[in-house]
Amino acid sequence: MEIRIRDLDKYYFSEGKKIPALSNVQLTIPANRIFTLLGPSGCGKTTLLRCIVGLETPDSGEITIGDTIVWSKEKNTFVPPEKRGLSMVFQTYAIWPHMTVFDNVAYPLQVRKEPKEEIKRKVEKTLRFVQLEGFENRPATKLSGGQQQRVALARALAPEPKVILFDEPLSNLDAKLREETRKELRGFLTKLKITAVYVTHDRIEALSLSDDIAVMRAGQIVEIGTPKSIYFDSEQQFVADFIGRANLIPGKVASAKSGSAVIDTPMGPMACHKRIESSPGKEVTVCVRPEFIQVVRGQGEKGPNHFTGKVESLVFVGDAYEGEIRVGETRLITRIEPTANIREGDDVLLRIDPSQCSVLLR
Amino acid sequence: MARLTPILIALVGFLTVCPVIMLLFGSFSQGLGAFGTFTLAKYIQAYTDPALVDILLNTVVFTVGSALVATALALFMAYLNTRTNIPFKTLFQIISIVPMMIPHILFAVSWAILLNPSNGLINLFLKQLLGLQQSPFNIYSLWGMILVEGLLDLPVAYLIIAPAMSSFDVSLEESSKVCGSSQFRTLTRITLPVLRPAILASMTLVAIRSIESFAVPSTLGMPGRIYLLSTHIYRVIATGFAADYGMAAAVGMSALSASITLIILYRYLTRESEKYVTISSRGYRPALIDLRRAKVPLFLSVALLSFVLIVVPVLVLLYSSLVPYTMVPSLKAFTMMSWKHWVAIAKDPISLLALKNSLFLGIAGAGLGVVLTLFIAYTIVKVRTAASGILESLSFLSFSFPGIVIGVGFMWFFVRTPLYSTIWALLIGYLATYLPYGIRPLTSAFVQIHRDLEESSRVFGAGTLYTLRRIIIPLLVPGIVAAWILMATMFIRELSVSVVLSRPGTEVMAVQILRFAEDGLWGKLSALGIVMILISTTLTALATAAGAKWTKVQKVQAG
Repeated sequence: MEIRIRDLDKYYFSEGKKIPALSNVQLTIPANRIFTLLGPSGCGKTTLLRCIVGLETPDSGEITIGDTIVWSKEKNTFVPPEKRGLSMVFQTYAIWPHMTVFDNVAYPLQVRKEPKEEIKRKVEKTLRFVQLEGFENRPATKLSGGQQQRVALARALAPEPKVILFDEPLSNLDAKLREETRKELRGFLTKLKITAVYVTHDRIEALSLSDDIAVMRAGQIVEIGTPKSIYFDSEQQFVADFIGRANLIPGKVASAKSGSAVIDTPMGPMACHKRIESSPGKEVTVCVRPEFIQVVRGQGEKGPNHFTGKVESLVFVGDAYEGEIRVGETRLITRIEPTANIREGDDVLLRIDPSQCSVLLR
Repeated sequence: MARLTPILIALVGFLTVCPVIMLLFGSFSQGLGAFGTFTLAKYIQAYTDPALVDILLNTVVFTVGSALVATALALFMAYLNTRTNIPFKTLFQIISIVPMMIPHILFAVSWAILLNPSNGLINLFLKQLLGLQQSPFNIYSLWGMILVEGLLDLPVAYLIIAPAMSSFDVSLEESSKVCGSSQFRTLTRITLPVLRPAILASMTLVAIRSIESFAVPSTLGMPGRIYLLSTHIYRVIATGFAADYGMAAAVGMSALSASITLIILYRYLTRESEKYVTISSRGYRPALIDLRRAKVPLFLSVALLSFVLIVVPVLVLLYSSLVPYTMVPSLKAFTMMSWKHWVAIAKDPISLLALKNSLFLGIAGAGLGVVLTLFIAYTIVKVRTAASGILESLSFLSFSFPGIVIGVGFMWFFVRTPLYSTIWALLIGYLATYLPYGIRPLTSAFVQIHRDLEESSRVFGAGTLYTLRRIIIPLLVPGIVAAWILMATMFIRELSVSVVLSRPGTEVMAVQILRFAEDGLWGKLSALGIVMILISTTLTALATAAGAKWTKVQKVQAG
């Protein structure tokens, strides 16, 4: 089911001051896709999710789920959460501690007064789906964190909802388990025809899990796109910086032709082939991801987008080195292969492919 | 729910503030009939009484003494339990819980039966054995009272000291030992100073309980003409030609201000304690000290203590309910045993009425108390406004109010209403005095219910009532059961409010037991006392079983 959000505002009152949590949010979440709301803490992503599910009431605007208006200020409509027919996985899992695994998963079906045999069949099916068969009669609190997380997922899937909402469901797992669960979750969700709205502040989670990402900042949605387009073709400095490691170099547009622009930066002129609809003289930022800066030892030949610098520091991060290289007064973060034989203090040549340089508006 | 807060504040405010205000006005009035005409006469009369000096001195010695006894014993036990390899550690758990089940008046009376100077069992035995003319022990003395009160308050002190002792960061001690200090030196120079806040908190709480205490001063102090503030108030209103509620109120003001000062001190100390007592989350278990040769004697002393605390009172009561008059256990005594006193109790209309009244107050009163505290705890934990803060402070303050003083305060109120001399007057007095006992288990139960547990139920399609039935109440059941048990057992045994508010027709068990004690009718007293213990234990067992069943039914029905 498609979710449409129009002109949504939500305020909080703190010490007599009015603080906007969401301002003028416009969003369409397409049906049967994994849609992620990504942003730093306090950006309003969880508030938006809670507005969709009905645990918070917005101050103005309209929310439509499928063909039903669940909230509208003008039409004075409010459908309470229990009537919206959604499912949700909570950050704390919200597993009821006084019930067994079976009862937790069966609860949404029991609420609807489905026949007992039907409930039993559906719960068994769902538990098999999340690989928790045989755990039916365990007390829910006697499970590990990862298992509890799967009980929460099973409970959300059991009523076969059209829409399922996730509020940072992986943030309580340790790093390794989080990675595994992420892959599993992606597998589960793509198998089912289901609209998933996923809230996270973890960019890797967002990139690897989603079909679409909406990046939020200070109560507003700043950019929507597929993981690739957000990562490689972002229009905005905030998004480019938030979604991955990025070198952001300030500069001024020197010349712009179709398909190419030259930007004057403190490092010298840089040719950029991405997002170049800027007029000459305009203040912009050049964005280059560390993995697209090629580092070679020695001086090397001069050429377009070739710069010379010195290795300031070299940090081993496991699969590669993260090198900080100084070009004039500018410091660039680069990714250096362990085989490259480069040491701290070395003079190096940097080659930056113009097709990987984006011009961002400031 | 937020709309309920003002009503709750009004209710709790009435229960806590009303008796205090009435006490204050009463102390400036001429008498129950002349309320509101200002006079200082009662204060002058009360505070120029030459006997008052002794009374105050006795009160101070009794309060400080029992605080020292209880805290020292608690320290000794907590240290043995958490830091040494003493065997049978479950014994410590029993000591810290079970004595609370034995009504104070019965505990005190059982010691009177053993050690009173005229026919105390131990005294009689020693006189026969050693051919003494005089009784070697006299429990009707200040030291007797201090010892008994100290033993009674041991569980309270232990429940404060033991957690502090087990969360104590052992590395503080280890570093002292590394520096070459001996075990004893480490104990006195490091362990005790670091535990100081917990020790002070324990002493303060025991002191509050001793000021409130009426059972021990009335059964052990009054026969020896040793009066404390509480028994002095009792003497003013219950003995002599005319009850003087004005003077009782004037004296009560001192007891009340002392208690309030102490409870404020207690709150201050427990807040400070978080700074001192370092809680180590590293999960290292402290190395247990090997007691070696001291193991058996120390264990025997703890075993003796639990025997004295739990077994002796019940045995003494059982024995003396069966023998026709006080006699040292012997073959002759056993041949003379009969149900005489039990039959007498069963035929005594006042004892039966007291039994009926206490049962009603225990079962229905605690039920009402749980409903009220359920709402109060919800407001304190979940509503969290400035108003709910007032609620918390009010209920906390009333924790310190001495029952007999509250009783006198309510007396001034009830004589003006049709409630006077009805069982409802007792019920209101009980609720006012024991509300905090119910609030505690319920607030901690509410704290456990995370907001998400409620919200997820709603998201999955359950309405408010369904959520209440399937999620909130089942999670609250253990807290509700604990609160009900606490209040029911307190109400069954209630003495200090009752001695003021109980009138002919509204007698309760503890007051009837006090009457028997005053007349030295140990046999009847013991029979009624055993009945009281049986009722408390039965109610506790039933409530526990009901709670377990409720949760189980919930599970089966859901599955």
